[in-house]
Amino acid sequence: MSADGSASPDAATPPISTDSDPADEPRSATYYHLARAVLYREYLIFVRYPANAIGGIVVALFFFGVLFYGGRLLAGQALTDSLSGIVVGYFLWTLSVGAYSSVSSDIGSEVQWGTLERHITTPFGFAPVALLKGVAKVVRTFLTSAVVLAVMLLLTGTRLSLDPLTVIPVAGLAVTSVLGLGFAAGGVTVLYKRIGNWLNLLQFGFVGLVSAPVLDAPWTRFLPLAHGSAMLQRAMVDGVRLWEFGLGDLALLAGVAVAYLLGGYVVFHYATRRARRLGVLGDY
Amino acid sequence: MSRGAASERDGSRADDVRPDAESPDPAPPALAIEGVSKRFGSGEGAVLAVDDVSLTVERGSIVGLLGPNGAGKTTLIKCALGIVLPDSGSVRVFGADVADGRRAAYANVDAMLEGARNDYWRLTVRENLRYFATIAGVDPDSVRARHDRLLDRLELTEKADTPVRELSRGMKQKVSLASVLAGGAELVFLDEPTLGLDVESSRTLRRELRRLAREEGLTIVLSSHDMDVVEDVCDRVVMMAGGRIVADDTVAALRSGTERDVVRVVSADIDDAVVATLRERFDVRAVETDFGAVERDGDRRDGHRSTAVEVAAAGDALYDLTDALRQAGVTVERIETVRPELEDVFVDLTGLKPGGSEADEVGSDGADSRGRSS
Repeated sequence: MSADGSASPDAATPPISTDSDPADEPRSATYYHLARAVLYREYLIFVRYPANAIGGIVVALFFFGVLFYGGRLLAGQALTDSLSGIVVGYFLWTLSVGAYSSVSSDIGSEVQWGTLERHITTPFGFAPVALLKGVAKVVRTFLTSAVVLAVMLLLTGTRLSLDPLTVIPVAGLAVTSVLGLGFAAGGVTVLYKRIGNWLNLLQFGFVGLVSAPVLDAPWTRFLPLAHGSAMLQRAMVDGVRLWEFGLGDLALLAGVAVAYLLGGYVVFHYATRRARRLGVLGDY
Repeated sequence: MSRGAASERDGSRADDVRPDAESPDPAPPALAIEGVSKRFGSGEGAVLAVDDVSLTVERGSIVGLLGPNGAGKTTLIKCALGIVLPDSGSVRVFGADVADGRRAAYANVDAMLEGARNDYWRLTVRENLRYFATIAGVDPDSVRARHDRLLDRLELTEKADTPVRELSRGMKQKVSLASVLAGGAELVFLDEPTLGLDVESSRTLRRELRRLAREEGLTIVLSSHDMDVVEDVCDRVVMMAGGRIVADDTVAALRSGTERDVVRVVSADIDDAVVATLRERFDVRAVETDFGAVERDGDRRDGHRSTAVEVAAAGDALYDLTDALRQAGVTVERIETVRPELEDVFVDLTGLKPGGSEADEVGSDGADSRGRSS
C-alpha cells in the first residue's frame, strides 16, 4: 500500500518502550487498526455533524422535484414512460456526486489543515488513508442516496427491483470509477490550489456518463459510470440479478472500476510528489 | 513516551525492527542533514531557500532553529521531513537514509508545523491522540495510559473529551503538541510551538519539552522567534540567514563569541560633560539618563537620578576608563559587564530582528511573506 514501495508499517515501527508502567507496552498498529481509526473518524464526523448529510439529501430531493414536476409539465406522458430510468439514473448520479466531491474536497481540506503533510511522514503514508476514507465516503453516500431513492419512489409511485445483492455491488463498482476521478481531482488540487472549485463542475458531466448510449456507442462502456449505469438500469428496472449478468459485463464493470481507481491514485501520487518537489504541499 | 531512549534504559534497544538496525554505528544521530539545497522557481525569479546546509542533531538534544522570515528554516524542516524534496544533499533519520525508504525512516518522526491545524478540530482531544497514534504505527489501545499521562502533563485532562474546535487557541496549540507526541515519536520538529500561548501555557509547554528531552530522550528541533523560549529550552542554537547556517553553538558559547567587552557604569555624577569626555576617548555605546531607563536589569530607582553609560572597554581600556571617571569626579555606583542577549547575537550575525523579514521567499516559505513565521 505504500506509495513508494517502502516497508510495511509493521516492519518500520518499533514498539515504544515502556517508560513507567510495564502493562503499558505499546503494540504496533496494523492496517486493521488503520482502517478502524479512519472509518471510526468518518463515522464520528457523520453522526456528530449530520447537517452536511441532511443538506445533501435536501438539495438532491429539491433538484429531483424540479426535474420531476417540471418534466411532467413539459413532457407529460413521455416523462412518465421513462420515469423508472430517470429515478435509477438520478440515484446513481447522487451516489457519484457524493463520492466524487467528498473525496476531492476532503483531500483539499487535509491539505489546508496540514494533516495531509502529517500523513506523508508516517509509516502508512496518505494513500491507504485516502482509500479508506474513499470507502467511508461511498458507504455514507449510499446511506444518503438510499434516503433520496426512497423518497423518489414514494413521490413518483415508481416500483423498482431493490435486490441489495445486485444493486450494491453494481452501483458500488460503478461509483468506484468515480472515486478514482475524485482522487485525481484531489491530486490536481494539491498542486494547483485554486483549480479545486472548477473541478467540482465535473460532477455535472456525470449526467452525460450516467446516460451514455452504451448500446449505440459501445466504446462509452470504457468511460467511468457508463457501463455500470446501464447494468444498474437492467438490474433495477428489468429485475436482472447479479448472477444473471454475463461474465463479460461483470468483468468490464470491475475492470473499469479498478482501472479508474488506480489511474486516479497514480495521478494523486505524482501530483503529491510534484507538490513536494515544488514545495507547495500544504502551502494553501 | 520515547521509544529509543526508554529502550536504552531497559538495556534492550528496539533495533530489531528499527531502520538503523543494521547500521555499523551503534547510535547514529537522530538527524543528519548533509549538503541539502533547495531552490524554488527558475530563471531570474528563482530563490535559493536552503543553500548547502549540513546539520547534525544528536539524540536527546533540543536544538533551536533561529532566523528571520525567509531565512529558510521552514524549508529546511520540510526538507528534513520529506514534505519538500531537496534538489541535492541527503537526510538521514536515526541512521536511515530517507531516500532509501522515506516511510521507514520517518516511523519515529512527527512534526507540528506553524500555520497549520495539524489535527482534526471536529474530533475530541483524546480522539485526535488515538488517531495520530494509529497513523504513527501504534495501536492506540496499547498506549491509553500514556495518553492520559500526556494529557495530564499538558493540563488537557479536563478537555480530553471536548472537540478541539471548542478550545482556545492556546489549548489547540497544546493539543497539536499532544497529537505529535501521541505516537511516541523520538524526533519531533516544532515550528513556533509557543505562538499564541499565554505566559502560563508557554511555561507549561517549555517545562514539558525539557522533561521529555531529559527523562525520555526525545530529540526536538524547535523553530521559534521567541528568544526566551529558545534560551530557556534549547541546548544548542542554529541560526540561519539567507538559506545558510550562520551560527551553530550553545547559547552560552554564542553569547561569549559575541562578547562585545562592554561595561555599563551607573552614577548620579555622570552628566553631559562627562559623557562628552568619555566619547572623546572611548567607544560609548549607549547613554540612558531617565529614571528606570536602564531596562536590562529593570533597574528603577524612583527619586534617585542616575545615568548609565555603556562603554566598550576591555583589558587596559577598562583601567583607562576608571581613571577617566575618577578624573571627572564621578563616584561609581555600579559597574558591570553587559552580557549580550541571544537577540544581540542574532542581530550581530544576521543584521535583522528575529521577526524581521529577510527576503521574499516562495514555496513552502511563501507563507512567510504573508506574515506567518517560518
